Amino acid sequence: MAAEHGEWLDRGEIYALGALDGRDLNEFEAHLASGCTICEAYVRDTRETLTLLPKSLNPAAPSPVLKGRILQQIEPATAAPAGEKKSSSSIWNWWGLGIGAFATAVVAFVLTSNLNRTKTELEKIKVQLAAAQTESAQKEEQLQLLASPDVRLVELKGLEAAPAAQAKFFWNPATRRGFLLAKGLPKTSTDKAYELWGIAGNEPVPAGVFSVDEQGQAKFPMPALAQEKNFDKFAVTIEPASGVPKPTGPMVLLGSL
Amino acid sequence: MRVEPLSEPASLIQQIAIQNRDAFSQFYDRYSPLIYSLAMRMLKVQSDAEDLLQEVFVQIWRQAQSYSAERGSPEAWILNIARSRAIDKIRSIRRMEKSFVLTGDPASAESSDNVETSAVESESKLAMNSALANLPESQRRVLELAYFDGLTQSEIAGRLAEPLGTIKTRMRAGIHRLREILATQAA
Repeated sequence: MAAEHGEWLDRGEIYALGALDGRDLNEFEAHLASGCTICEAYVRDTRETLTLLPKSLNPAAPSPVLKGRILQQIEPATAAPAGEKKSSSSIWNWWGLGIGAFATAVVAFVLTSNLNRTKTELEKIKVQLAAAQTESAQKEEQLQLLASPDVRLVELKGLEAAPAAQAKFFWNPATRRGFLLAKGLPKTSTDKAYELWGIAGNEPVPAGVFSVDEQGQAKFPMPALAQEKNFDKFAVTIEPASGVPKPTGPMVLLGSL
Repeated sequence: MRVEPLSEPASLIQQIAIQNRDAFSQFYDRYSPLIYSLAMRMLKVQSDAEDLLQEVFVQIWRQAQSYSAERGSPEAWILNIARSRAIDKIRSIRRMEKSFVLTGDPASAESSDNVETSAVESESKLAMNSALANLPESQRRVLELAYFDGLTQSEIAGRLAEPLGTIKTRMRAGIHRLREILATQAA
């Protein structure tokens, strides 16, 4: 039975979850094998979404010993097999001394190389740790903002200058911070950017400048606003990239509390 | 914030494909806690989880060249590898247990106690504020049974004594909810 495409997508979600079975599974796999790129992309996208599930678990660190075991297992097999017989005993002593000295030099070289590599790796780890800590702090801050009972959701709709645009703005009047998620915004020229505004009555207050990615999406953590205004609207306009104190360009998004 | 290119997962995989051990080490440090948490949740036994972790990363070392960014993120790729292997183990164990139990007590083979208990236990292991913790109970349960316990839609319907259509609806609703959460959490 030929299913409507919406039904294929429904099955695709359960397929991505690994729970499709029976005839549903056979038919869907045949459909995928027929080359449906829509379903293939949808399954892929659903798998990305499902990564939230393991991330919901409390993290558990494996034993450090395990890493050593794995690194050992992937060691390239370059060493000579143990117990291999050498040349005749008459020249063994001289060759043995030479090989011993060479081996000592090799070991010293390897140890020095390893030490240098470890130092380099340590420096890299420090840089990555600092970056990860900053990123983690930012995410924690955003998470706290979203989880706060004070937070208000403002839906912003696209206006004539960008009718396909839409955005959600999470506004915390207690901390005067916010987080904007926007999509469908046209990419601006390099000298222009989008500027967010809090509007109290008819008075706009600048709330930060942001840009969009290639897909016209933006995730903008709004810095805390100093001014104690009771905003009833939020808007986005196109302005010079450095930002302006009062709106000068076209308004692309507007939403009310 | 951007970090140096080598530490980006896709770049690390490219380096692993040419047998760069430093890249592998970084990749391991980045993803081993996530994979190990998943392995512990699915297999429940530390030694089994460690074995799975080892198998997964050795596979990555050997098959890194098979990764394609067009087919998904590195995170989804490695989770898919880990989960597939874990489900194989779970289903193998379940087949053995089922045949063993059926020999002695047919009724107990269909008992939902174990699965129910594991679903309940898993709730206590959820991180606070996690996406899964924000799902309605009925949706969370079916997603957990499928994702972590490796049950199919029909098996879940049987275990929960619910119509298959209901289970499918809950699964899809749960996934849609996760999409919404992902959209708002993305930062």
